[in-house]
Amino acid sequence: MSTDKRPEMQISERELAAMTRDLDELHESTFPGVRKLLDEFSANLAHLTRGRAAGRRGFLMGVGGVSALGLAACSSNDTGSSNKTTTAAPPATTAAATYEGDLKVVALAAALENLAVTAYTGALDAAGKGTLGTVPPAIGVFVQTAMKQHKDHAGAWNGVLSKAGKPTITDAPLSITADQVKALGAAKSVPDVAKLALDLENAAAQTYTFATANVTDAGGIMTAATIQPVEAMHAAILNFVLGQYPVPDAFIGVDKAVKPDALMPK
Amino acid sequence: MSPIDERGLRELMVESDDLQSDAMRTAERDLDDYVEAVLETHSGRTGSRDPGGMWPGWGKTGLVAGLAGAGTLLAAGPAAATTVDVQALQTAASLENLAVSTYKTALTLPFIGGADANAVVKAFAEKTMAQHTEHAEAFNGAVAKLGGKAQNDPNAKYAAVVQKAVPTIKGAGDVVALAISLEDVAAQTYAKNVSQVSTPELRQLFAGVAGVEAQHKAILLAVKALVDGGAPQLIALPPDAAKLPDAAGSVGFPDAYYPTDKASPVEEGAVK
Repeated sequence: MSTDKRPEMQISERELAAMTRDLDELHESTFPGVRKLLDEFSANLAHLTRGRAAGRRGFLMGVGGVSALGLAACSSNDTGSSNKTTTAAPPATTAAATYEGDLKVVALAAALENLAVTAYTGALDAAGKGTLGTVPPAIGVFVQTAMKQHKDHAGAWNGVLSKAGKPTITDAPLSITADQVKALGAAKSVPDVAKLALDLENAAAQTYTFATANVTDAGGIMTAATIQPVEAMHAAILNFVLGQYPVPDAFIGVDKAVKPDALMPK
Repeated sequence: MSPIDERGLRELMVESDDLQSDAMRTAERDLDDYVEAVLETHSGRTGSRDPGGMWPGWGKTGLVAGLAGAGTLLAAGPAAATTVDVQALQTAASLENLAVSTYKTALTLPFIGGADANAVVKAFAEKTMAQHTEHAEAFNGAVAKLGGKAQNDPNAKYAAVVQKAVPTIKGAGDVVALAISLEDVAAQTYAKNVSQVSTPELRQLFAGVAGVEAQHKAILLAVKALVDGGAPQLIALPPDAAKLPDAAGSVGFPDAYYPTDKASPVEEGAVK
């Protein structure tokens, strides 16, 4: 990736990188709580897939997970933790009919996260080939960091599917995928890619907002509630980079949410 | 656009105002749906849509203060659940009121709203204050429709924190740091409220506002990094991306999952 000359700053790159490492540690410290939440969500969904409705008991179990999330204080440097939950997964497939109820929203979320990872991976590839022109280093860091967070999210959702005995989603079987991939292929500059990423981040934030109202399990609701702000933050930074007002709406709506019926059979 | 092209910035803000009005209408619809759902449930159970008959203890916020969590809350029945909904809305309004007053005060400072201010930071503070005002109105609007008392005071716990911090403020970085703390508490509170309130409509409302507070925090984190780094000139719309330090690309979103450990308890800002 080509880069520009760097400005002189009172704070060094090393200090800023150290700040980033601190933030990484902060991020890792939040993950164990979310993992516990997801484990309980999975357990509830497993009950459902076995034909035993969780009912109020399931809801209460999920709420217990919510409390655990708030209380989680331990830290972890296991960056592959989300992958661990998928190692024993059944073979991946993308048959939409496989997933029902909350699991369909989970599958949708995994697919949407995979689409974001695909888009950012494509952007890095295009940058490496020089297709996008000169890419500022800060933009490269943004892409890599956002991509990692989306991978974490996809791994988390796939962990739920796996533990519920369902196939994981390793690609992006969505009705919007073809258009997004086509748009990425046509991107010729950093702003082109940033606009595409902004649309995806906005769609993800709205999809999780939709999920908070349409998932029934408390653990699933809370997981969506803790991922939604992160996608919204990605969008704010992208708006800023594009020279657009970074927080254009006082409320995040659902009109651009990707609905469960966008999940497609292969 | 020049970093100090205020006209261009104002045009962007007008455009975003239009978008925001649409979003506000959606939020109001959500609230109306929520209120209607609650009243319908009440009517089905009691034959009356008068919430006062069901919740005589609107002012008795201690009624459910001892409840350990949403699970206990659910077991306590719909009346307790709705009381907590109102408390959550009132606490949210208290956080919004504090944010409004804090930004208002900040805008009186020369390095935020005066001659020494960065135009983008000033415009951001003004717009963010307006968004918090809308949030407070939305939360209080729902409270009023449910028969509760509007929360018009700032959150007492964090008002004390702000009061203590104000005399120590020496520059824009200090103000931004304070704002980050307030935005973060609000975002964490609303993210947690999503799991505590009793209807899908209200969950969606709290999630919709949580994301916006998180966006405020993201931008403030980026601004603070540039201010602390001695590069406030890079705070511009659009920024000169080529000159941004590498870490500026990630400083705005430190967590893959938004934390909730600093969330305010539901009853913290409830009207006594």
